[in-house]
Amino acid sequence: MSVQTQELRLQGEPICRGVAIGAPLFFTLKDELIPEVSIQKQDIDREVQRYIRALTRSRNDVKKLKKKLLNEKIDEGAEILEAHLEMLHDPLLTNQVEKAIRRKCKNAESVFQTMIDQYLKKFKTIADPFFRDRMKDIQDIKRRIISHLRNSAQVSLAEIPSGSVVFSGDLTASDTAEANTEAVSAFVTERGGATSHAAIVAKAKGIPYVTNVNLEQLDLSKVKQVIVDGRTGEVIVNPSLETEKRYQTMQKQLVSHMEKLKTQASFPVETYDGYKILLSANVDMEHELEMLHRHGGCGVGLFRSEHIFLKNECFPTEEEQYKIYRSLVSKMKGLPIVIRTFDIGGDKFLNHQQTPLEGNPFLGCRAIRLLLREQDHFKAQLRAILRVSLEGDVSIMFPMISSLSELIESKRILKKAYDELKEEGVPLKKEIRVGCMVEVPSAAVVADLLAKECDFLSIGTNDLVQYSLAVDRTNHAVNGLYSSTDPSVIRLIKLVVTEANRHSIPVTVCGEIAADPRFTTLLLGLGVHELSVASRYIPTIRHAVRSTSIIEASHLAEEVLKLMHASEIEELITTAYRENVPEDCFYNI
Amino acid sequence: MKLTQKVQVKNEMGIHTRPATVIVKLLQNAKCNVSFTYKRETINAKSILSILMLAATQHSRITITAEGEDADEVMQKLISAFERGFEE
Repeated sequence: MSVQTQELRLQGEPICRGVAIGAPLFFTLKDELIPEVSIQKQDIDREVQRYIRALTRSRNDVKKLKKKLLNEKIDEGAEILEAHLEMLHDPLLTNQVEKAIRRKCKNAESVFQTMIDQYLKKFKTIADPFFRDRMKDIQDIKRRIISHLRNSAQVSLAEIPSGSVVFSGDLTASDTAEANTEAVSAFVTERGGATSHAAIVAKAKGIPYVTNVNLEQLDLSKVKQVIVDGRTGEVIVNPSLETEKRYQTMQKQLVSHMEKLKTQASFPVETYDGYKILLSANVDMEHELEMLHRHGGCGVGLFRSEHIFLKNECFPTEEEQYKIYRSLVSKMKGLPIVIRTFDIGGDKFLNHQQTPLEGNPFLGCRAIRLLLREQDHFKAQLRAILRVSLEGDVSIMFPMISSLSELIESKRILKKAYDELKEEGVPLKKEIRVGCMVEVPSAAVVADLLAKECDFLSIGTNDLVQYSLAVDRTNHAVNGLYSSTDPSVIRLIKLVVTEANRHSIPVTVCGEIAADPRFTTLLLGLGVHELSVASRYIPTIRHAVRSTSIIEASHLAEEVLKLMHASEIEELITTAYRENVPEDCFYNI
Repeated sequence: MKLTQKVQVKNEMGIHTRPATVIVKLLQNAKCNVSFTYKRETINAKSILSILMLAATQHSRITITAEGEDADEVMQKLISAFERGFEE
């Protein structure tokens, strides 16, 4: 009887982007039944010795693994293994187990298993999922010790055949750490979240990873080959020859395309009919500036000032900030930088803010609303920024403005800070450019009023989408409604850009859609002259700009504005991008 | 010498794997006995698993007890590690 192997598509949640093809390897972590055996009094020392040897071997394993990760510069992974090493020295696993073996006169495996299962049970009762997740570390150690006790060769991801797609219920950190990147082409798991250690290590190693895949109905014996699409979360089991060929070609293209783009850092960012775009970077930390320069970005379009201080217990002082901004500006090599004042609250908190939990933090006291309440801290930040104004090309931007009066009030405090410094005799630049974020629909609607009161606007699309559609993207029940191509969003962007252009002030788009090359032509067509993206996307966006024309862009924008559904718009811009840059299969799915 | 001191967990993520590793490493050569008391549970602070099982989140208050000849020095080191939020 011939085995009919039909192509089967499973849908999961993508954790790590990328595409892989390989043979399956089922890496199951079933608990083996461990027999309980009584040990004679005279043999008990030997039994304890056997346990100690297993511990020593386990420590050696972990040390070796840790060294391997350090060599590969995967520091987070090495840190996790450092913790595993501490656990292997934990008195609960050393003295306590030894004592119990002597007391119970039972074999080491069974005593150890009983004890560690008690700890695991305790972990299961922890309500906080972040802490409960650490259970996996203990399971990992348990498996290692037991396998040494049983002297059975442990299945290790280090020894698997090359090109394997690893299927598992869940993965532990050392599984992923052991994984020979050359051999493992992808991970597919039934469980595991984006915060799991395994996800961190997989991301650092660049291994495609899809989770939440239902493997129950899969007949494992019939799986011969698998394609994992980390872009869509699709797992294709036993792909047809046609599918396989398609993915193979795609993989090759992907690599050579990215390599080519990286060599083009000095190419001007302009359409092929000569329309120039300012392409800058969104930056959180000072060290990211190196990549900005390497990829030829033209400045920092958005410096999220709060990130450096998120670990602080309270608002940083003026001096503390001055030092950081000064060092930042000195590394700009004369390029412009827009410093956005603190956007805290919502999903980011300074530790000291023990304000009562808000029922609706995203609609609550965050960003400019918080700054206007904490005026002394706001002024301290503005003073720190103003003091570096002569050392480079620095602009100030206010986050989450939702009305004209908030902008005017913010500017009043800025003026106060300016006048104070002046009086103190601090040398200052005459004109400081001031801009405001447009990320709330109410601000977009009054863009004409805001445009009269500031020097530039910056559209933050992530929040604009979330607020326009009233969708919390972290809520699984509704995040399917989150769509950046919704006609309402496109119209709001169009409105803001038109008003900014009418008042002759620049408008930047930052946020995810600026970094998604499928949107580039549309944004240009809507009249956007400036884009700000995370540095690593600069090569892709530069290429997207250089592959289109302003005439095509205007036509595309016109077409998009006629469409009525998010899905139609997405399809149109994706098709347009595919025609312009057919070789970028990272986005052309 | 027996010392007792209350401390607050300052770092955002609470006493997760990394801070717990820091604590255990810090106590590696301590001669005194050190315990943490949190939510009416007292554990050996030299045991990383016990610390993790406390699941102490940010803002938790933990009572440190140190007993032995170097208790004073060890206590100072621990307090300072908590104060600095374990450099997170």
